Amino acid sequence: MISGRLRFDTSHATEFVDLTERIGDEVQKAGLRTGRIHLQSLHTTLGLAINENEPLLLRDFQHLLERLAPGDAGYEHDDFTRRFEVAVDEPVNGHAHCRQLLLTGFVTLLVEEGRLVMGRWQSVFAVELDGPRHRQLAMQLDGDFSPSHRVGKSASRSKAGWGDTTAELVEMEITRQLMTDPDPVALPMRRLMEAGGKRLRPKLVQLTSRIGPTQEPQRAASLAAAVELLHNATLIHDDYVDESTHRRGRPTVAAAEGAERAIAVGDYYFAKATRLIAELGNASVATTMAEALEAICASQIDDVAQRGAFPGDHDSYMRVVRGKTAALFAAACVSGALLSDAPADVIEALRRYGELLGIAFQMADDMVDFSPDSGKPIGLDIRQRALSLPLIYAAEDRSVGPEVRTLLAGSLGDNEVDRVAELVTASDALRRVGDEARGLVEQAVREIEAVELDGLRPTLVGLARSAVDRTA
Amino acid sequence: MSVLALDRELERLEGLWADGLSDSYRSYLEAVAGHGPAAEPKLALAAALIEVGLRLQGLGGRAAPPPTLLMGDLCLARASRLLADAAGQSLQVAFAQAIETLAAAAASGQQARPVRELLVHAFAAGR
Repeated sequence: MISGRLRFDTSHATEFVDLTERIGDEVQKAGLRTGRIHLQSLHTTLGLAINENEPLLLRDFQHLLERLAPGDAGYEHDDFTRRFEVAVDEPVNGHAHCRQLLLTGFVTLLVEEGRLVMGRWQSVFAVELDGPRHRQLAMQLDGDFSPSHRVGKSASRSKAGWGDTTAELVEMEITRQLMTDPDPVALPMRRLMEAGGKRLRPKLVQLTSRIGPTQEPQRAASLAAAVELLHNATLIHDDYVDESTHRRGRPTVAAAEGAERAIAVGDYYFAKATRLIAELGNASVATTMAEALEAICASQIDDVAQRGAFPGDHDSYMRVVRGKTAALFAAACVSGALLSDAPADVIEALRRYGELLGIAFQMADDMVDFSPDSGKPIGLDIRQRALSLPLIYAAEDRSVGPEVRTLLAGSLGDNEVDRVAELVTASDALRRVGDEARGLVEQAVREIEAVELDGLRPTLVGLARSAVDRTA
Repeated sequence: MSVLALDRELERLEGLWADGLSDSYRSYLEAVAGHGPAAEPKLALAAALIEVGLRLQGLGGRAAPPPTLLMGDLCLARASRLLADAAGQSLQVAFAQAIETLAAAAASGQQARPVRELLVHAFAAGR
């Protein structure tokens, strides 16, 4: 059983909102193959109906409702002098309640072969009777879910199409998990995860889970989803700590919903991710992930502590990045391999690969802050005084270093940030960081040269190289 | 667990011991009885770290300032690792569910049961 909410806004007092396509999407996202989707209006002035989406007919329906319960007929419900506990914004809407009585508040739709069972002319409407408003329907899906949720041994053994299928599997698992959570935590997390993200960590889990003799795609997808949820939970707390207003082009949870909510959402998904990992019943995986989380939290404290000495130096940068970014990359590689019962030497090689890749990834991320193609305002790291290797190198540079250090020591307004970004770009810093990141990737590639990876080496090599050759 | 071993588990969190963590730790020793001499201190410390960590973060109340939040995060992460080391699957799940319950209530602005009550219940459920 999967449950969730379907939300939408209406724009007229009376309106027929065709939800057929969105409901079909929900069925697909949840992977429901055969079963039912139940929808229930959560409002007393919003009805549900199944009928034909023909504009003139919809006007006929509207006129019928108006005739049966006219807006000006005079309703006792609208006599506020006779009612108790009337809200200050209570609308005059007796007619809307009466019209809702003529409709239904719930529908059940059958699903076969992953599609809604609908007649040729049938559409599912939410009928707004007192709009415009923000509305929601409660939704439950039950039945047999997609075979890709239970990929059999033979399918799991097939190399062909692995990438697409497994990527879908993890997305479906993430969607499924988010649909089961209470709205106050699920909605902010859903917004964050729907805004994008490279999903590198779950990819690493899924790839490495194919290396050993035990291959269970569904368990790997659960672990991959947990790793991604854990990663996003840490981002939510980070954004509050860094006072970031935007992430992936959208307001951060802290900015949109306040620090209190951000802390609660981060905690919820930290706990949920650790539960999903525990439910796998693999003690080594649970320990690996818990150690990574501990390393992330400890390095976050170091990161904040070092801001007094901003921009810091190479050694302190590496110390923080090993914990803050590389630990989870390494844990993703190790835990996937552990799940597949890969040999110890392979697991150790993958740990080193993941750690080096994580450091290189962070360096590439630092460079993106100076890229005009990133889609983000240039110099965000400078403004937030975030740890950044290009800044460290620019501050050490013989020609631009003194000016960079002077600017960073003062308050950072728009002009100062622009000037620092200009100096970093003009210096050798970005080339040095790029070379160092690529060097680390080649080192990571060498780490997995000597071990048996069941044909996955080219994929892991490609993934590592693409992680640093990017501008966004 | 020897004093030395407990010290190791308190690395970077030493200041909290005198600031309520030791009292909280002692309060869980009874609840962990029966989990075995090696596991009991780790489990009691894990529960105490969760209790103190959530309090530091200000979960369900006013948000902690960033450095304090990070300290709370580290408490939760350390607790998670101690549980992974010393607890069985059902206890790990029960603890995670307790935090999920508290966080969901906090996000909804609802009053939750006291942390200690939930964690003691988790010990019983995860036995």
